Amino acid sequence: MKAQSVIPEREEPKKKKFNFYSKNTRENIFAYCMLAPDVIGLAVFFFLPVIIALYTSFHSWNVLEPMQFIGLDNYKAMLSDTQWWGSVRTTLLYSVMFVPMVFCFSLLMAIFVNSIPGKAQQLFRTLFFIPYAISTVVASLIWRFILDPQRGFLNEIFGLFGISPQGFLGSTKQALFCIALVSAWMLIGYYCIIFLSALKDIPISYYEAAKLDGANAFHIFTNITFPLLKEVSTFVLVVTTIASFQVFDLIKILTNGGPSEATNVSVYYIYQNAFEFMKVGYSSALAFVLFLIIFVMSLFQLKLTKGETNV
Amino acid sequence: MKKANRIISFLLTGALLISAAGCASGGSSASNSAAGQSKPAANAEKTKITFWTFHTNAEKDFMASLGEKYKKVNPNVEIVYQNFPEADYMGSKLTTAFAAGSGPDVFVMSPGDFLKYANSGVAMDLTSYYTDEMKKDFLPSSLQAVTVDNKIMGIPFETELLGLYYNKDMFKAANLNPPKTWSELEADTKALTKNKIAGLLVEPSKGYYQNFTWYPFLWQTGSNVIDTEKKTGTFEGAGTEKALKLWGDLIKAGAPQKLSIPLTNDIALLGEGQAAMQVCGTWAVASLEQKYPKTNIGLVPLPVPDGGKAATCAGGWKMLVNGKSKNADAAAKFAMWAFAENVDIPLEWCTKVKFAYSPRTSVVQAGKDIYSKGLRNVFTNEIYSSAIGEPRYPAEVVNAVGDALQSVMFSNGDPKAEAKTANDKINEFLKTYKGSL
Repeated sequence: MKAQSVIPEREEPKKKKFNFYSKNTRENIFAYCMLAPDVIGLAVFFFLPVIIALYTSFHSWNVLEPMQFIGLDNYKAMLSDTQWWGSVRTTLLYSVMFVPMVFCFSLLMAIFVNSIPGKAQQLFRTLFFIPYAISTVVASLIWRFILDPQRGFLNEIFGLFGISPQGFLGSTKQALFCIALVSAWMLIGYYCIIFLSALKDIPISYYEAAKLDGANAFHIFTNITFPLLKEVSTFVLVVTTIASFQVFDLIKILTNGGPSEATNVSVYYIYQNAFEFMKVGYSSALAFVLFLIIFVMSLFQLKLTKGETNV
Repeated sequence: MKKANRIISFLLTGALLISAAGCASGGSSASNSAAGQSKPAANAEKTKITFWTFHTNAEKDFMASLGEKYKKVNPNVEIVYQNFPEADYMGSKLTTAFAAGSGPDVFVMSPGDFLKYANSGVAMDLTSYYTDEMKKDFLPSSLQAVTVDNKIMGIPFETELLGLYYNKDMFKAANLNPPKTWSELEADTKALTKNKIAGLLVEPSKGYYQNFTWYPFLWQTGSNVIDTEKKTGTFEGAGTEKALKLWGDLIKAGAPQKLSIPLTNDIALLGEGQAAMQVCGTWAVASLEQKYPKTNIGLVPLPVPDGGKAATCAGGWKMLVNGKSKNADAAAKFAMWAFAENVDIPLEWCTKVKFAYSPRTSVVQAGKDIYSKGLRNVFTNEIYSSAIGEPRYPAEVVNAVGDALQSVMFSNGDPKAEAKTANDKINEFLKTYKGSL
C-alpha cells in the first residue's frame, strides 16, 4: 500500500484562459492602443533615424554615392579635428551664458508675477509668454534689425546715451552673447510659467509663519522659496542645458557661424559637415559624440542637484 | 459613458493613424512625381521632367515659362518646375532629394558646388548631346568650366562679372573720384563712411559668395589658391597676404561687419542710398534700372594694387542633368534645347530678365546692341577682358580660404600666419582628394 504524503500537494494555479472579452484584457488593449501612436511615432521618427545615424557614422558617405564602411575612422578623425573641439568650446561658452540667464530671469519673473494681485497677474503672465509663441525665424528677423550695427534700434538708443555704436552680431566678442540673449528672450516666458506653477504649490502658511518669525524677503527666498523649488529648478537647469547644446536655428539665420567662427557651435559644425562638405558619415559620428557629451553633462547635473528638499 | 469615451478614443486614434499613413503615402507620391519617375499618365503618355532652381521674381517666371515653350516643340514632355529659397536649395534641399532618390531631372548649380555632382556621377555626361556646331558656339573657357575628365557635364548659360558700383552723388559731394587703386579704395571707404552710410559694402559672411567676390583681389596680385595641374596649394606668399590684408583694412576703414541683408549680391542697400560703394555683379544692373532708377549709380572696374593687373571673376550658374534619372535622355534634350541650341531663350535671360553675358558667341552677337546700354557698356568695354572663370574648388578648400579671410577681417589675424594655416589645410585635403579640380 502506498504511503500517503503528509504534506498536501500544492495545487497548480489554474492558468487563466485568455479571454478577449474580460475587463482586464480590454483595458490593457485600450491602453496599448492609446500608447501606440506615440510609440510608433517615436520608433519611426526618433529611434530608427538614431540607429541609422549610428550605422552611418561607421561609413564614409557623401549622399550622392553609395556608403563605404570605414570602421572607426570618423571617430579617429574627430579626435584631431581642431575646428570640432573649437565648436565644443564655443557651445560650452554659450551654455555658460544662456543657462544662468534663463534660470535667473525666469525665476525672478515668476516671483514678480506671483506677487501681482488679482487679474493683472494673468495679463503679465501672457505678456511674458508672448516671445515663446513667436516662431524662431520671425524672432530672428526682428532681432537682426534691432541689432543691425548701422541702423539698428539698439544702437539708436545707445546713441541717445552717448554710447558708441556696437558691432553686436558683427563683432567676434559680442555675437555669441547676442545669440544667447535672443534665445533667452524667447524662452524665459516659458520657464517663467513653469516656475510660477511651482510657486503656487508652496503653502502660504509657510510664508506667514516665516513673517511672524521676523524673516525678511531675502530669508524667505533662500530658506523657503528656493529650497521648495528644487525639483523644478533641476528640471529647468537640465532642460536648458540640453537646449543650449542644441542651438542651431538662430545661428543659421543670424550669423551662419560667424563672424570668424565666433558663433560656430557644435550643431552648426555638424550641419556644415553634412550639408556643405557632404560628409554625412563624419557628421553622424560628431552627432553621437555630442549626444554623449550632453548625456554626461545631464547626469552630472542631476547628481549635483540630488538630495532631499529641506525647508 | 465610460464605454462611449473608449469608443471615441479608439476612433480618434484610428483616424490619427490613418491620416499619418495617408500623409506618408501622399508625400511619397508627390516626391515620385517630383522626381519625374512616375509612370506617364495613361491618357497622354507624357514624360514628366522635374526642373528645380532657386530663382525668384522675374527670373523664376522666366524659368517657369520654359515648360510652356518646350510643350510647343515637344508636346509629349511635361516640365514640372519648382523653385526654392536659395539657402534651402544650396543647403539641404538638393542633397536630401538626391539621397532619397528623388532628385530633380534638371537643376541649376553654382561653379562652387559643380564638382560635387560631377565627381559623384549625378551630373550626366552631355558630351554626345553637343554637336560640333554647338561646341564652336560656346567660349572654350566656359565649356572647360563644365568639363571633367574630357566629359562635358553641364551647360553654361550665363557669365556674370564683378565690378565696383558707386553712388555718383556721394562722390561728387565729397569731391572724390571713383577709386582705381587699392589705396584709393581704402581712403574713399574711410572718407565716405558716415553715421548711417557705409563707405563700402564687401561680403562679410563666410561662404562661396564671399570667396567669389574676393578672388579677383587675390588674382590681381598674381597669386592663386591652387595649382590645379600639380594639385598643390599656392595660398602662401606676398600676394595672398596683401589680398587678405586689403579686406581686413577695408573693414577697419568702415566696411560693415554685419548687414541687414543676407548677402551683398543684393544691390538694395546701394540702391537705397545706404552705401557709397558696393562690390557686386552684372545681375545688379537690371535691378538698379527697375527698382532704383532715381539713384545715380556708376560703375568702374575693381581697383587694382600698385603693380597689379586688372582681374574680375566670371561666375555664372550651370544647368545640370540628373544622370541617374529614368528620364535622363528627355531631360538632357530639354536642357540642351533651352540653352545650347536655342538663341532667343538665353538672349532673353541675359538681356531682359537679368543682365549677364552669354557664353555663346551667337547669343552675344544677337544681343550686341543691348551690351552697350547704360552700365552694361562699362562691363562690356572695361571689365569683360579681365574676366577669369570662377574656380570650382571643393568645399574644404572654400572653407580654408574663408577661415583665413574671416580671421583677418574680424579677429585681427595675421595675414601671413592665416595664409600659411589655410595653405596647410588645403594641402592636407589635397593629399587624399581623388576628384577633379
